[in-house]
Amino acid sequence: MTAVAAKYDEIKALGAEILAISIDSPFTHKVWQEGELSKMIPGGLPYPMLSDTGGRVGELYDVYDEANGVNLRGRFLIDPDGILQAMEVLAPAVGRNVAEMIRQLRACRFVRDTGEATPAGWEPGKKSLQPGAELVGKVCDIWSPDMAF
Amino acid sequence: MAVKVGKPAPDFETKAYINGDIKTVKLADYKGQWVMLYFYPGDFTFV
Repeated sequence: MTAVAAKYDEIKALGAEILAISIDSPFTHKVWQEGELSKMIPGGLPYPMLSDTGGRVGELYDVYDEANGVNLRGRFLIDPDGILQAMEVLAPAVGRNVAEMIRQLRACRFVRDTGEATPAGWEPGKKSLQPGAELVGKVCDIWSPDMAF
Repeated sequence: MAVKVGKPAPDFETKAYINGDIKTVKLADYKGQWVMLYFYPGDFTFV
């Protein structure tokens, strides 16, 4: 979660808010912020830390692990209309790739703003595709897999 | 209700620790901006 905090300004500039959520109480969040996180990120995590006591929200998003009583490492990207646009769930011991999450946010914003589609590995400035009958069977003329990297 | 891309994200209301305060927040409070909702196993874990 500190890796996300390190990129918080960039994420905010893209019009997004971070909401972190675990089964811990707000008081536990406070102690973790003050005791440890603030040593890694000056001032602690800059975004809201939500409390999901009992895993009720985790159940709604199908990430609550009942056997262990915790939420899995799930990430959900929600657009300004409240529609889910991307999601990912990792095993608890596997950390996330914040750069990839920001790339997905940029791609989702681009698609929403332009109505175009973003091929694999798209980054701002790379070729996008205009969906339509004319493109059917022709993607090979304008895009190749090496453009994904 | 299943969670699906392209469908409304389930709304919820819960307590949150924000800048030293404890407040109640709803997902719907953030309509009009993008939201990255991050679940994680627990405070004081290592990853």
